[in-house]
Amino acid sequence: MIRVNDIHKSYTKTSETIKGVSFEIGKGTIFGLLGPNGAGKTTLMQIIATLMKPTSGTIEIAGMSPEKDLLKIHSLIGFLTTEIKLDPVSTPDDLFDFFADLYDIPKNEIKQRKEKAFNRFGITPFAKRKISELSTGMKQKISIAISLLHEPPIIIFDEPTNGLDILTSRQVTDYLKELKSEGRCIVLSTHIFSVAEELCDEVAILVDGMIVAQGTVDELIKMSGEKNFEDAFFKIYVENHKEEK
Amino acid sequence: MKKTYSIFRWELKKIFSNWHKTVTLFLLPAVLMMLALNIFPLLINYMSTGSFSKKPIILVGAPKSFHDYVNETADANVYTYKDLSYSEFNKFIEAEEKMKELLKGGTVICYFGSDDGDEDISFDDIVSDYYNELAKGNSEATSNAVIFLGHDGESLTGQLRAEQFRRGVLDNYQASLIDRLGGDYANIGSNLFSTDSFNPVTKFMDNRTPADRSASRIVPGMLLIMMYYCVYSLASDMFASEKERGFWAKLIMTPVSSVQIFAGKILAILLIVSGATYLTALLLFFSSWLNTSNDAMSLLPFGMMLTPSELLILIITIPFTVFVMTAACISTIFSLKKMQDITVNLQLPLIFFLGDFFIQMFRGTRPMTLEYFIPMHNSLALISETYMAQEKLWHVIVVLAINAAVAFLVLRVTFKKEGLYDKSK
Repeated sequence: MIRVNDIHKSYTKTSETIKGVSFEIGKGTIFGLLGPNGAGKTTLMQIIATLMKPTSGTIEIAGMSPEKDLLKIHSLIGFLTTEIKLDPVSTPDDLFDFFADLYDIPKNEIKQRKEKAFNRFGITPFAKRKISELSTGMKQKISIAISLLHEPPIIIFDEPTNGLDILTSRQVTDYLKELKSEGRCIVLSTHIFSVAEELCDEVAILVDGMIVAQGTVDELIKMSGEKNFEDAFFKIYVENHKEEK
Repeated sequence: MKKTYSIFRWELKKIFSNWHKTVTLFLLPAVLMMLALNIFPLLINYMSTGSFSKKPIILVGAPKSFHDYVNETADANVYTYKDLSYSEFNKFIEAEEKMKELLKGGTVICYFGSDDGDEDISFDDIVSDYYNELAKGNSEATSNAVIFLGHDGESLTGQLRAEQFRRGVLDNYQASLIDRLGGDYANIGSNLFSTDSFNPVTKFMDNRTPADRSASRIVPGMLLIMMYYCVYSLASDMFASEKERGFWAKLIMTPVSSVQIFAGKILAILLIVSGATYLTALLLFFSSWLNTSNDAMSLLPFGMMLTPSELLILIITIPFTVFVMTAACISTIFSLKKMQDITVNLQLPLIFFLGDFFIQMFRGTRPMTLEYFIPMHNSLALISETYMAQEKLWHVIVVLAINAAVAFLVLRVTFKKEGLYDKSK
């Protein structure tokens, strides 16, 4: 579903944020990008989501190139990030209708999809309330409901549980598992080991803009010779991280 | 087109569902400007005369011609007059302390009479006799009619008020004497036509010229400040805040082209800001037509009026100006990363527009040709010339074309810089 080939990205002439990253992700897979802050996870996620152009290299989404079929690609992707803050004066109802309109969802289906999504996340009692009056967890659930209203086969989720309480985090991880079982391709970035361990079929460890290790959690533990995933990550990180001079 | 309309409708809904935003954008700037326009002259008036109300003038031996002039002339009505006969004035002089106190407070005394002090013959009779002599062909005729203006030489208020009264009232009154008292001489040597002071068209035209002259100095700058204030508030909200919140990313991840997203938002800004600016222009118009006192210091005196074609120019110029302002704001927002930098940079042009407003207010020259080629400022020049009824078709064409072309160019460069995939393909 997703093919990333030798991606480079630099914001300045002197340094590169992403240094030649390549990988492929198939259908019904959760692919995790694990790395510390500043490793380039968000930049890479934005490039995969076609929000940003790479300096060099190519990406393919469902066999299509963003240069040629960007709008078609966007109708296949659901992009989520905890950094997204919804318009504070709008209501969940208004936001859902607005985005459904942009995704060309037929009018008779909007109501049905809204009911399903709002009931799934317990948004219904808050549907007419202003976003500014709602809790962080509820805002995140609304954001998920809106991002996935077009039922995309590819979901890109930047730091899915960042800043959420344990109850909402659990709801989100359960939902991601459900989406995986429906055969969707999910890419998520995280710096939380338990999330990567619990959800990901394959994990890529990103250090200083490069993928330094890639495989299943078990493969990475084995490769590092450590006992658990957290220790494996630290060993891989220390071996590959170069201090900036 | 449908998607552009969806975004346009969404942005309008966001603004109008929040009454705070609606009032802040539509009513507040317009009302504040109208208040400033009316309070500012009052303050200047107070500083120069020491009074918020009408300024008192003591008239001594004021003739009928002067009272007639005051009744017919709006400019002369900004003073309150206290009439004294010569005998009453003599008693007043005797009460020396009281007189000194009044003069020290800025009171001005206007004395009508003859320079030989003869109080038995009226001022009007002296002037009439003089004109009669001229009519008879006596070119050596002289008049000993005089008007003395008395004030305390050490009181700045008194000095200023006397000067204001002399320029605003006495000079015009003296010029009108030939028509009022000239008799045959007026028919021979001066006006062959008399003005019907009750003709509403004549009265309107008399008022329109000074009112539009004032409007050409005040209104364009005010409208430009108002427009930019609204554009920058909306652009901050629709682009900068959405970028900061990450909502922009959500929006451009939809299968809608960037061009359609920008178009929908820009159209919403054009509609809202143009609407708010029309409302401000309307309030400024009312401000003029309610200002029947026609205070000499008024910034927008009674009678401001545009012909239908002039009004059309104003109506068309505003959205084009808003367009180029919007493009400039979008360019600033997308060329900077930090919200703090964006806010500061968006506020900077307000200083330019404020400077432009004050220059326009005090400059005594008409716009130069080059000014019509400077985006945004050219709208100020065009609106100013429109109020002066001096606009030309090429001015209008150049201003609209330059502003639209610059706006498109700036937006194009911004799109390219953004590094987004070209979603319009």
